[in-house]
Amino acid sequence: MRLATRLAPIELRDWTGAPVRLGSLWAERPVVLVFVRHFG
Amino acid sequence: MRDHVPAIRASGAELVVVGNGAERFAAAFREDLRLDVPLLVDPELRAYRAAGLRRGRVEALSPRLPLHALRALRTGHRQSAVQGDPWQLGGVLVIRLGGALAYRFASREAGDHAPIGDLLAALDPDAPALAERSESSLAARLVGRGLSALVDPGVVFSFDRTGFAIHALSFDPDDLAVDLAGRRCLVTGANSGIGYETSLALADLGADVVLLCRSRERGEEAAERIREQTGSRRVSVEPLDVASLASVRAAAERLAGEPVHVLVHNAGVLPAERVVTEDRLELCFATHVAGPHLLTKLLRPALERASGARVVWVSSGGMYTRGLQLDDPQWRERRDRYDGVAAYAESKRAQVVLAELWAEELADAGVAVNAMHPGWADTPAVRSSIPGFWRVTKRILRSPAEGADTVVWLAASPRAGGLTGRFVFDRVPRRTHWLPGTRESAADRRQLWQLVERATAPRAPRRAAKPPGLALAGAMTPDNLLD
Repeated sequence: MRLATRLAPIELRDWTGAPVRLGSLWAERPVVLVFVRHFG
Repeated sequence: MRDHVPAIRASGAELVVVGNGAERFAAAFREDLRLDVPLLVDPELRAYRAAGLRRGRVEALSPRLPLHALRALRTGHRQSAVQGDPWQLGGVLVIRLGGALAYRFASREAGDHAPIGDLLAALDPDAPALAERSESSLAARLVGRGLSALVDPGVVFSFDRTGFAIHALSFDPDDLAVDLAGRRCLVTGANSGIGYETSLALADLGADVVLLCRSRERGEEAAERIREQTGSRRVSVEPLDVASLASVRAAAERLAGEPVHVLVHNAGVLPAERVVTEDRLELCFATHVAGPHLLTKLLRPALERASGARVVWVSSGGMYTRGLQLDDPQWRERRDRYDGVAAYAESKRAQVVLAELWAEELADAGVAVNAMHPGWADTPAVRSSIPGFWRVTKRILRSPAEGADTVVWLAASPRAGGLTGRFVFDRVPRRTHWLPGTRESAADRRQLWQLVERATAPRAPRRAAKPPGLALAGAMTPDNLLD
């Protein structure tokens, strides 16, 4: 399966605690998804 | 990172940062870096894992780490204590509107970064998307073949999820690097389990997918989930109760107008007691044998019009326990001893033989017809129909997606186009008999075809009013139409 299809159903929380489904990130515009090694 | 936000936004894209520390560190991180972009937290590393990013002690403790730290300090990036998983490495993905992957960078060691030029170039909508394929080495495939030879004579470590993992080592990742755009795929029982995963995977490969479901509402829910997840708009729903010949005729009439490239007979049932349908057929026989046979027959012209069409029958490993049942396929003589598991297995055996017969029937038209079995998969049907089996085996069951893999492979891969009339498990054609006494004769096979033809023949309407839908066996009058 395409990587985006595997990622799409995953739900994470944003910095305010609100849930975000990853698929919603590229539903309306392209996205640059940066995975950082750690915070700090 | 912050310096590149304007260029990324100018291209119409959004920058989103994912970190793996706890939520409470996220807001501070965002403030510290003065990053005015969405920040997500993934403490369980689910997205990191799905994105295939590296994790390891050696990589995370790169000898160049002090140099990277020094460079970060010089450019004004203050490094504080690590929050989150210290061994997890990062990476960058560029995903286009709708889900095409345009760029992927996975850190090899702590401190290396995606070349920004490559990243920005990938944001150009005219730049080609990446060809997505998973990696599989020749060595892994050879090991996979060796292990498969060891486990396949047994059942448990072949049908279970270990078996899938071992068999998957020999899968060729290029087999499913295909574009199914313009191919119309029909899947019965598509709203859950293996049918759902098959539909999802076919939509992901770009196919037009029609979900054939008993309940339009459940079908629409599934279609919406598939649209959301894949970004595909080419997913639709047609109501079909495959256990009702009238419903099959009505659906086929709506569907036969355009070519059918793929037809997946997946809908299944395992009843606790003998149920007889409005067509006076035992429910397993009606759902797994009569309905799919009639649907194939009515869609035959649409299959023949499509080039290289495929028909897939989702059977079951349980069929190995039974021979072809021709004396009492409706469980009339045996109604007092009805056994849902046995009725299921008999109808699954009939599917395998029927798929072989259809393969011969459609060979000249270039339509490939195969049966398959998914192994033991953890689907809603297994949970509700055989809860005892599920309780004992739940830890070793395959996921529905793993169960669907061979269905998708048979429906989509160019390699499988050369197969017809076979019984396939984990992408490999298998023998259809293990037990003595289960083998049928050529005459038996002809008799099955005739029996199914009679069972699905149109009938004059009966005079007596009958209750709609399904009725229990006891409520029906005996009939000998099929004897």
